[in-house]
Amino acid sequence: MRSFRALVALTLLLAVSGVKAAAPGDSIYQLDIALTSQGNRATKLDLYRGQPTLVTMFYGNCPNVCPMLIEQLKSAESLLDADQRVRLRVLLVSIDPDQDTPAALARIAREHNVDLERWTLARAEAADVRKLAAVLNVQYRRLPDGSYNHSTVITLLDREGRRVATTSRLGGADPEFQKAIRSALAK
Amino acid sequence: MNRLLIFGLASVLVLLSAACAPKQEAAAPVATTTGGSVRGDLGPPQGEPVQAILTSPPAVPPPTNRKQPAKVVVDLEVQEVTREIADGVNYTFWTFGGTVPGSFIRVRQGDTVEFHLKNNPSSKMPHNIDLHGVTGPGGGAASSFTAPGHASQFTFKALNQGIYVYHCATAPVGMHVANGMYGLILVEPPEGLPPVDHEYYVMQGDFYTVGKYREKGTQPFDMQRAIDERPTYVLFNGAESSMTGPKSLKAKVGETVRLFVGNGGPNLVSSFHVIGEIFDKVQPEGGTHPQENVQTTLIPAGGAAIVEFHLEVPGTYVLVDHSIFRAFNKGALAMLQVEGEPNKAIYSGKEVDETYLGGAQASMQPVVAAAAALAAGTLSKQQQIDAGSILYKGTCSVCHQESGEGLANVFPPLAGADFLKADLPRAIGIVLNGLTGPITVNGTAYDSVMPPMSQLNDDEIANILTYVTNSWGNSADAISSGQVKQAREATGRPLGAAR
Amino acid sequence: MRGSGTIALSAVLVLGACGVAGAANPSPQVSVPGGDFRSVLAPAPGQDVVRVPGFRLDETPVTNAQFSAFVRAHPEWRRDRVTRLFADPEYLSHWSKADQADAVLADQPVTRVSWFAAGAYCEAQGRRLPTWYEWEYVAAASETARDARNDSAWTQRILAWYGKPATAGLPPVGKTPPNMYGARDLHGVVWEWVEDFNSILVSGDSREQGDPDVLRFCGTGALTMQDKDNYAILMRIAMLSSMEGRYTTTSMGFRCASDLKSAQP
Repeated sequence: MRSFRALVALTLLLAVSGVKAAAPGDSIYQLDIALTSQGNRATKLDLYRGQPTLVTMFYGNCPNVCPMLIEQLKSAESLLDADQRVRLRVLLVSIDPDQDTPAALARIAREHNVDLERWTLARAEAADVRKLAAVLNVQYRRLPDGSYNHSTVITLLDREGRRVATTSRLGGADPEFQKAIRSALAK
Repeated sequence: MNRLLIFGLASVLVLLSAACAPKQEAAAPVATTTGGSVRGDLGPPQGEPVQAILTSPPAVPPPTNRKQPAKVVVDLEVQEVTREIADGVNYTFWTFGGTVPGSFIRVRQGDTVEFHLKNNPSSKMPHNIDLHGVTGPGGGAASSFTAPGHASQFTFKALNQGIYVYHCATAPVGMHVANGMYGLILVEPPEGLPPVDHEYYVMQGDFYTVGKYREKGTQPFDMQRAIDERPTYVLFNGAESSMTGPKSLKAKVGETVRLFVGNGGPNLVSSFHVIGEIFDKVQPEGGTHPQENVQTTLIPAGGAAIVEFHLEVPGTYVLVDHSIFRAFNKGALAMLQVEGEPNKAIYSGKEVDETYLGGAQASMQPVVAAAAALAAGTLSKQQQIDAGSILYKGTCSVCHQESGEGLANVFPPLAGADFLKADLPRAIGIVLNGLTGPITVNGTAYDSVMPPMSQLNDDEIANILTYVTNSWGNSADAISSGQVKQAREATGRPLGAAR
Repeated sequence: MRGSGTIALSAVLVLGACGVAGAANPSPQVSVPGGDFRSVLAPAPGQDVVRVPGFRLDETPVTNAQFSAFVRAHPEWRRDRVTRLFADPEYLSHWSKADQADAVLADQPVTRVSWFAAGAYCEAQGRRLPTWYEWEYVAAASETARDARNDSAWTQRILAWYGKPATAGLPPVGKTPPNMYGARDLHGVVWEWVEDFNSILVSGDSREQGDPDVLRFCGTGALTMQDKDNYAILMRIAMLSSMEGRYTTTSMGFRCASDLKSAQP
């Protein structure tokens, strides 16, 4: 009797603590890194698990590409119907954790007028940033003046965090990628 | 006459002639250009995708015989292999498809090629491919960069017909090419190439090793020699004797042979020539419009040519780079064996073989006879005198004159010379070693220079001296070549004289 | 008496536990004094000198035996349990058992490891992977010179290794002479991972160097490689830039580095 009650209690405890089924082997959510959002909230890579998500890497002081990157993400969203858009999530992780504090990220979010109901701008520690970049096949290097060279890759994740499509196109719709987004949202 | 009628008739005539004129032009169209890549797109691929047939050199895949553009899948694997570059000499080649040059790829203009590049897991290096027939950045190189044990894919449309080099373009590019990473891709014209009896695949390359030519063992690549452009080997198809002896290319009398000849470099330009044949047709640099009747064609590094010739006469035809030291001292040599009935009207082979003695043909006969007699052991004094007389002229007579009288106060006489008669062994020594300083001959002082006659051998000196000492009133015994030999051995070699 | 015995026993247990929790005893490291260094990968256009702070580097690459111990202590890195995100299907495929390399491989450098796996091993030692600049800096030294890169005989020796195919077996670690810093096997044995392998922003087409495609790499474009005669370094760069973090290959191993200030010996 006693052991049975213990078992029930344990199960309830587990349920309450929200232990989820493990993500599939090829999901990027297998990568367990600590993120801090623009709202200074501690979170994880899988914060949007359950919804198709666009994830990319950028940095705040980026002179030309990153503003275009954010606009590219908004443009991809705008091509969707309203009921599709509401289900899409967007995660941007900074490659410049020193400069991109939560306050800086919040300012960037405001400047670009992003929908923080569905978007998160986050920072992670340098070693974790390198791991996320390796997972997303993003290349970057820090230059002596504090700026960065980096490649641009927007990755579409399905609800379970598996990579289903990527694009490097800036300044113009990528029809194949749009199709993939619509398809991921339809499932 | 009715003006209207005349006008009408005239109009009809004009219209008729206008209608006729263009028809005349259409009857004999002369296409002067293919239109290049602008006109190269023949539309989307038709039918089922085709798996490209790739061949190892010297074989060439069969004609595509396609009339419509197709999707062609090419599967090419990079392998790093160690094998012989020359007899007893091993080299680690980096290859497309396991061979140097790499597999021959054959497609048709307008084909869409889906290119799969695989890098064998045993490779140490990443590799990629740049095909000169691709229109697009790097010829495909950026899109095909592949780590060992991985594969990549890219697609291109072959817009331009022609024969094109492909090669690896991974840093350092020169080293990848020098290690054998090149091959040919043929983009057939839409109407295909005219049929021939044999098509063969030949590709020249220069190789740079630390060891010398034919130095045995496993030879590593020598980067400094490659930068200095000093190859150790210049080879067809990646190995000395790759196409000689039993591995020669084959054909028969009466057949037409087409060679696709590439030059992978990395550095040298080829002066390609087939000894004994003339190229009836050459597409120089692999371009569309042929040249005819060419002996030797230049193939740039990173370029190719198509040559065709018809065979009339049997024999062995030697393919060379006519920068000829490469052919005979670095290995740039291959063979085509042609069998069939001889045709003496075209080429007779050797008809006469006789000795030829230059302009003085008849008069050298005694010299020849004396040499023969010496060899037979039957040499007579008279034969020596006769031979010596010929040899004396043009050698000794220049100074001592044909009559043996010398030149007053300059060159001493030989005729009746007391100096000569007094010491014959000394005379032998003078012919061998020369003489300078004052002497007195027949009461007259001479102070001249006689150079050593290093160009004369013992028999010749013996014959000349026998003649001199038995002419113009002189008389003495014959001098034998043995005596000359003794004198030669007993005396020192003068400065500068050959021995 | 009893008290000190208990203390001694606890100490032994604690030390033993540390030994088990990490891998087998962390391998010896050499100290590399910092310095200025002319790198093949210029950090910024017109600036090719890099300041490399002092650090410590493993004397030799990590061996199959060492990696086996790590896999046993961290079974999530077994080849039958690791996720495809972190290692491709060839990961540790040369071991006959999932958690133990064959005895004959024990002292050979471990290969067929992904960047993620290598990084995890180093983290478990309280160490890290070396950066590209750290690696290039140490590897520029020969036995007798801090920077031997202009020594053509030294370069030729390195190039000779690239000429041999990877099918030959690997030698045990530590057999090559130590360079000026005391590190061994930096050349002629295996390729090695670096921490920032994905910072080598070179185009897959090596002839595009200097192409200022600003949008492609946000800023000054793809890296221009200085010193194109330095084939040995160019080939390392080409190799690393062809890899993804989860890739494994028969010729790629690794060793760990640590900061001079770190507590680990």
